[in-house]
Amino acid sequence: MENPYQPIKTKIQEVTRETPNIKTFVLEPEEPLHFKAGQFIQLTVPELGEAPFTPSSSPYEKEKIKVTIMETGTVTSALHSLTPGGVVGIRGPYGKEYSLSDFEDKEILIVGGGVGLAPLRSLFFALVHDIEKYKRVLFCYGAKTPSDIVYKNAVLQDWHKINPERIHFRITVDEGDENWKGKVGLVTYTLDNLNEEIESIEESVAVVCGPPIMMKFVTMKLLDIGYKWNNIFLSMEKNMSCGIGKCGHCQMGKFLVCRDGPVFTYDKIKDFPTIWD
Amino acid sequence: MENLFITQTDFSSLMRKLNEKSPLYAPRRKGDFLFYERVRSDSLDDIALGEIRPIQSLKSFLIPPQETVSQYFASPSFSNKEEKIILGAKSCDLESLKILDSVYSDGDFKDPFYIEARKNIILISSDCTVPAKTCFCVLLNVSPYPKEGFDLNLSPIKGGFIVEIWSDKGKSIVEGSKELFREPEEGQIEERDKNRANLVNRVKEINRDFDFEESFREIIKDSLDSPAWEEVAEPCVDCAGCNHICPTCRCFLLFDKKGKKGFERIRLWDGCLYTGFARVAAGANPRSKLSQRFANRLLCKFDFFPENMGLDACTGCGRCISVCIGKIDMREAVKKVRTKSLSDS
Repeated sequence: MENPYQPIKTKIQEVTRETPNIKTFVLEPEEPLHFKAGQFIQLTVPELGEAPFTPSSSPYEKEKIKVTIMETGTVTSALHSLTPGGVVGIRGPYGKEYSLSDFEDKEILIVGGGVGLAPLRSLFFALVHDIEKYKRVLFCYGAKTPSDIVYKNAVLQDWHKINPERIHFRITVDEGDENWKGKVGLVTYTLDNLNEEIESIEESVAVVCGPPIMMKFVTMKLLDIGYKWNNIFLSMEKNMSCGIGKCGHCQMGKFLVCRDGPVFTYDKIKDFPTIWD
Repeated sequence: MENLFITQTDFSSLMRKLNEKSPLYAPRRKGDFLFYERVRSDSLDDIALGEIRPIQSLKSFLIPPQETVSQYFASPSFSNKEEKIILGAKSCDLESLKILDSVYSDGDFKDPFYIEARKNIILISSDCTVPAKTCFCVLLNVSPYPKEGFDLNLSPIKGGFIVEIWSDKGKSIVEGSKELFREPEEGQIEERDKNRANLVNRVKEINRDFDFEESFREIIKDSLDSPAWEEVAEPCVDCAGCNHICPTCRCFLLFDKKGKKGFERIRLWDGCLYTGFARVAAGANPRSKLSQRFANRLLCKFDFFPENMGLDACTGCGRCISVCIGKIDMREAVKKVRTKSLSDS
């Protein structure tokens, strides 16, 4: 029998600073760990504890896993102090992946806020891998300021060249600076005039990830625009601890977010009063 | 099910024999309560096989309050759990194993520590003889005497016990000491059945104020927004005593610390009544109010868990009532939620 609580020893290969409080870690587990876009892992800082993260690398990249981490609590602060060569632990993958087969032949709207871009990057790579299966991708992203944009070069330039016909971008910052020439405004503004990009809102799917307050307002706006409840995919980041549906910490009504999520369509959770808390 | 009879003296001999191989645990009275203790076969006289459930539930044997589940990047052995013989478990506690099994032994991920411990217990259960005011198994359709899930069950009667065999383990115990068991004499089964009928009536009588038309499940379902929760949770001090003492509350915390070789990961009992139970790193807390956490515990038992597993996550053992320093009675809580919803409709 396998021990589900035991992490795999993992070496940090590379650390990249993305923003003042976000870093991306390239991890090489001693045993390969294959995840699908949307699933999450648990990272252990030895002697300190664990925290859940959704990988930000392509699920097709088998040897290494990239995780993009914002400094918020004890474990993430400790992670930020680690350097290449450092040792961490990894368990997973856990939870349900994005059901990409349901996205086929559809227009896909991706809406990210802040570090919420991390799991969306993994999804983006998975979509790009089979881009001919999907009708169109509109990638909307908002950060507080230009220096808070995660994967800046990719988001502002490189990704735009991948498939300009099928993949479009709308990037905004809450507050610009002297060098910022792009749009200024909350991420919800990127959803204005959506019909210029999305032919059939009724059929389109929206994938949203970001801080709870951002997800709330984006969801409200998507509903206003005409998105169907079951076409809005939301990342519920609750207190996932064991990852395997036993410890109870991520319980949200009848769901255990680690087991039944972390991605839920809005229709499943809309009646639960504290989903945005 | 096969019924046999064993005298008190022969039962002691049987325990002595079993104890040569495995340690025995049995309830003993200490003050007002019964506690499971390791007993030696020469001190079986003061164990309490009848009465009611002990303070500890079977959870304590299967998921210890703390257990090392990982050492650095290696797994502590889980295949060396010693066999334990547990005497005197009651029907409500046998019922709780269904809930624990469905969480720890089923699903995509299995807990090897639980599964090994579970495999290595021998359950010699017994009928309750004196229900407490806190007992409410009958309200949840749990029988106050064991019907299933044991290896052997003992029903105290004059001079000894009626013994029922439910499992292969139980059968092999009986077969290994055939000479100690005999066919029940005339009237002995009737004596047991009469005791059981009295027992059922007494538990029903204790709960006559709570025998509602609807089940607890029906009352609690959709009660999340009930204003009754504020009132019900008012005396609660979020000590999580009800969580820890509950035979079916099974939530835990994974806690990492410095160990002899690198870090050690401990699985600790946790309680959903604690303020920070659901809080995330950035500080958001979906159940920051005590009344939300209190309601969530009962909703978990009578709505969320049944919805997932088809079982109530409560067996009516009444330990949460005994332990509560705020003197909260779960039955009263359900009653208040019910009254509120009736008066609102």
